[in-house]
Amino acid sequence: MSPEDSDRLWIRSSIGVVVGVLAFGILSGFVIMPVVQGAQAGIDPWTAICRALGISPGSPAAQQPRSAASGVPVSNVIWSPQVLNTLSSAPADAGRELAVGVCAACHGELGVSTDPAQFPNMAGQSSAAIYKQLHDYKSGARINDTMQSVVQDLTDTQMAEAAAYFARRARPPWDVTWVRTAGPEADRLARTGDSARGLPACESCHSPAAAGPVETPVLFAQTPQYLSVQMRAFKSGQRRSDLFGRMRDVAGKLSEREIDMLAQYYSEMR
Amino acid sequence: MAARTEQDVVRSELRWSIVVGLTVGAISLAILWAGLVRFINPPSNIETIDPNSVHLSAEFNEANLGTRVENGQVVTRVVATQFSFAPQCVVVPANRQVTLRFTSPDVIHGILVTGTNVNTMVVPGYVAQVHSVFRKTGDLLMPCHEYCGLGHSQMWATVRVVPEDDFKPDADGRALCEKP
Repeated sequence: MSPEDSDRLWIRSSIGVVVGVLAFGILSGFVIMPVVQGAQAGIDPWTAICRALGISPGSPAAQQPRSAASGVPVSNVIWSPQVLNTLSSAPADAGRELAVGVCAACHGELGVSTDPAQFPNMAGQSSAAIYKQLHDYKSGARINDTMQSVVQDLTDTQMAEAAAYFARRARPPWDVTWVRTAGPEADRLARTGDSARGLPACESCHSPAAAGPVETPVLFAQTPQYLSVQMRAFKSGQRRSDLFGRMRDVAGKLSEREIDMLAQYYSEMR
Repeated sequence: MAARTEQDVVRSELRWSIVVGLTVGAISLAILWAGLVRFINPPSNIETIDPNSVHLSAEFNEANLGTRVENGQVVTRVVATQFSFAPQCVVVPANRQVTLRFTSPDVIHGILVTGTNVNTMVVPGYVAQVHSVFRKTGDLLMPCHEYCGLGHSQMWATVRVVPEDDFKPDADGRALCEKP
């Protein structure tokens, strides 16, 4: 066989293989598969082939079993682009008047609480977290007599502006006498969680860099009293405005000892 | 084995072409077999849902999650969210068709129920639906199998399959996991 003949044979056979594979693909994908599967679904062969080719439309989305619940949604906050936009673009001091005039009595003018065991520090908190809680107080999803009456007449924009104001305040000053007392057990729970209990690490949402739910507050500079009261409120279901029970699930799996340990751990977080 | 001549190179290429051809052929046959004999096909019914307001939707609000018997049909609804399934445990009867419906308000999650055919991605904006019949009673593990964030490996829930006689929905048709 001359080299030219050999080349020709090579080219012909490769074209043959490519055409064969293509024909097999078309036959199985557009004819065999739709006809056999269509027969199962009661579709005649011709329609099945047309649908596989995309010439005729497929089945429209069918109504699925649905039911309406009588329960009230736990929170009415919707993280629409508009809300997120208001939070991120609120003028720096738009919320100052409200914050200083109303919130400051307990939470401090600069977001450093007058009684942090009872009222959380707001300085440097995530604006989405503050907004969500204000909104929940207003809708009645979260219960607290003082807060509910304070937010009753606020508009969504006012709440967003107040949230943005506090979010931009500097965090409470570093206490130079600070000594870390929380042990390795709390550290392990906070940073790696416990897979056997389905307990995600606190940090997987609460770390400022974690890409968890948008409304997650950052945990720092709160008192152990405040943190443990909130975790217990989640555990008992008294506080129930967390979407899909995220925190109720987590707190429910924690023992009393672990709650105290984590409260201490996060109160030492700066 | 070192190739000595051009003929050796051509023969080696041919041998490998045959190996590749057989591999591709075997995979194609497996796909055909799955489609023609096992009737496995891509999902056909596309259902959308607004991911921002899943918690306010009539179907997936918190009070409506879990198992409910509707017109004699067992429907189980689960929301996959960072980093848990709501509810954490669902109860289903053995040997009855169960329709499982999932959605996500945040990122892409995945669901599989060990030892069953339930295996789907849960994509925000869509409702994923799977029909299944659970044959074995007991607690089945339902982990998230699509990386969803830092808490992914702690994200799992339980499907509790109970004998049909022990499956007792309340007057509203709802059945809850009893605490062990």
